[in-house]
Amino acid sequence: MENADLYAALMHEMKNNLGLLAITIDHVPLTGESPHDHVVDNARLLCQRVVDRLHQSLLLYKAGRQKLTPAVDAYSPGELVDELRATAKSLARERLRVDMHVAENTPDIWFFDRALVEMALINAIHNSLEYAQSHICIHVGMENDDTLVMAVQDDSPGFPEHILRSFTDRQPYRSTGTGLGLQFARLIAEAHENRGKTGNLRLGNDDGAVFSLLLP
Amino acid sequence: MAHDSFKNNDMITNYGALRALVVDDYPGMRSAMKMTLSNFGITRIDLLTHATEVLTKLQNHSYDLILCDFNLGDGQDGQQLLEELRHRELISMETVFVMVTAESGYEKVMATAELGPDDYLVKPFSTESMRNRLDALLLRKRTFAQVYRHLEHNEMEAALSSCDEIIKSKPRFLVDALRFKGEALNAIGRFSEAEGLYRKVMEMRAIPWARLGLARTLFGQKKEDEAALILRDIIDKSPEVVAAYDLLAEVLLSRQDRVGAQWALEQGVSVSAKTVRRQQRLGELALENGDLAKAREAYGNVINKGRHSIFISPNDYGHLCRAQIGQGDLNSALDTLRQGKPILQTSPQGQLVDTVVRSMVHGKTGNAAELEKALNEAVQLIQAGARSDETFMLDYAHTCMTHGRHEQADAIIREIARNAHDSEPLLNKIKQIYQRAGRAEAGEQVVNEATSAVRKLNNEAVILAHKGDFAAAVEKLQSACWEAPYNARILMNAVWAMLKHLEHNGMSHEVLEEARKHLTDAQKLSPAHPRLPSLRGQMRDVETRYGLRSRVNG
Repeated sequence: MENADLYAALMHEMKNNLGLLAITIDHVPLTGESPHDHVVDNARLLCQRVVDRLHQSLLLYKAGRQKLTPAVDAYSPGELVDELRATAKSLARERLRVDMHVAENTPDIWFFDRALVEMALINAIHNSLEYAQSHICIHVGMENDDTLVMAVQDDSPGFPEHILRSFTDRQPYRSTGTGLGLQFARLIAEAHENRGKTGNLRLGNDDGAVFSLLLP
Repeated sequence: MAHDSFKNNDMITNYGALRALVVDDYPGMRSAMKMTLSNFGITRIDLLTHATEVLTKLQNHSYDLILCDFNLGDGQDGQQLLEELRHRELISMETVFVMVTAESGYEKVMATAELGPDDYLVKPFSTESMRNRLDALLLRKRTFAQVYRHLEHNEMEAALSSCDEIIKSKPRFLVDALRFKGEALNAIGRFSEAEGLYRKVMEMRAIPWARLGLARTLFGQKKEDEAALILRDIIDKSPEVVAAYDLLAEVLLSRQDRVGAQWALEQGVSVSAKTVRRQQRLGELALENGDLAKAREAYGNVINKGRHSIFISPNDYGHLCRAQIGQGDLNSALDTLRQGKPILQTSPQGQLVDTVVRSMVHGKTGNAAELEKALNEAVQLIQAGARSDETFMLDYAHTCMTHGRHEQADAIIREIARNAHDSEPLLNKIKQIYQRAGRAEAGEQVVNEATSAVRKLNNEAVILAHKGDFAAAVEKLQSACWEAPYNARILMNAVWAMLKHLEHNGMSHEVLEEARKHLTDAQKLSPAHPRLPSLRGQMRDVETRYGLRSRVNG
């Protein structure tokens, strides 16, 4: 076996086992006793986080040095937000309240790469699940008639100043965790283009952290 | 307007009513998937390990949902299995087929696949994301159920109006319905309507499939230059859309630009080397262009990468040998035959390819005994009814002629010419073979004799049909079919005249039966012929009219 083949086989097995681990943790029953349930919840979240990071690294590996090219098609923003709400709700179990808000002006369909956008938003949801105090809310709506905004808002203390600063300055964030996910989400937003407009990621604090993905 | 859930009642799937199949070669994954599906409420779940089991099972079982791993160990992979299932019509369009994969490159495989799944899940995935994905897929299948049913029965008009219903009443599925409608319009040749539709979609967003569809409608309207321009731009902006390379090759071929067409397919192959049919088309073109190295590479890929594909045939081994013989590499050609033995020896067609190639090789090595043996075997196979594609039959005729077996050669040439009386390129190839053998005059005579009867019958029938005398036209064309049983053009003309005859002169079960038989034969000979869909439609109209087929309710 060549080294490259062995590498591929190892990756393959790792992904298989990680998938099984995720499913296995999903099936651990809750006891209603907080120390036990708390550990299980943390394991679940952590496992999902590793899974997401693995997907992200594979995506970047695939894109190589090129720009990410999104596979744009028509999707229902409402449906996507509803799916994300269900995912967030199940990850939060009973610990946090998860709401969604579909604005009246939300179009029935919009054009984007569903897999990429989902990945960016799941990232934001993981962050919010970690830092929120009691609830998170997922929004969707239109801005200026030509941009779809999908946002994740929580009641955490908000993004820390140094993250906001390094994000605005486009400084590579060297620490682990949050910064990486945000950079990745920005990459995804900026890969979306329409009629000369480029997508964007907006971070802000408004009674908590607000993560907004802007898709033209 | 805050919602607890975005879903209303008709969006909710009743999982208890579904039948599901899980295909995975890894026992741990099979049982994990089963557990997850049971948690959704599915009670009827079958588990299988290998592609061969699935092919057997689906001959008499159907499922609402199939979750199939891409990697299935030895034998077919999930994609090859899906292609075979769709090609053999073992699964209906209503079945949700989800490919489960750990391959990070699978999107690329899927984008370039001949027949893709409804969706794919990249491992590892969470239970929720699987549930969400299934909810959405099952809702889509329910929304389009009527459209699928019409398409499967080839009821294009009805399919179009079902699409219109969705376009009017379900804005969420507007774009998907437009996509189906555009494909249906293109399939029945209503190109200018399709053009309007694709331009409407592009006003919303210039998504690649809409631009591709537009290029197809332009090509259908004989606007080759405009089509080529759009296709080149798609390739430039979205190089992963491989269907664009295939269509560009088709457009260029229609302009006799064989070199350009080969270039387009080479680009497509460089994006995805795995697709068997694209490699076959490339090999075929390269052989015609005399690019033997490219032909050898393409057919080599067909054989190595498509070993388990339903689209591979004995001819692929034969074509690889032809490229190798052309390069003077006779030993490799014999190696190819040895390697292909399991496929070549299982059908008369394969055996014929094997003997023809051996005769070509030994014609060059000068091994007279082996040459005699191969040619004698070929004669026996042909007498027993074996036929192969025209290229090999012409190779065979050529070898016979170079070794003085003129009668044998003339007999097979007569048959080929009769069955392709209107194909200029083929008749020219035949004449070249005679010229090279110094028998140009004899060749002229053989071809004229062979084609004149069929041509005369066909022309007379056309005139009779124009006059409205369908009964007489049918008679002439029946004789023509008798003369040239493998001539797709004649068969289709006969079907058309027979159906017209039934329409005008009343029902005759005998004629209808003949028409059905000819249509089936024509489909086998030339499955992608543009006239076939309308003939099938005409057939159904006649059947419906005489109460032999009930309208699908809808």
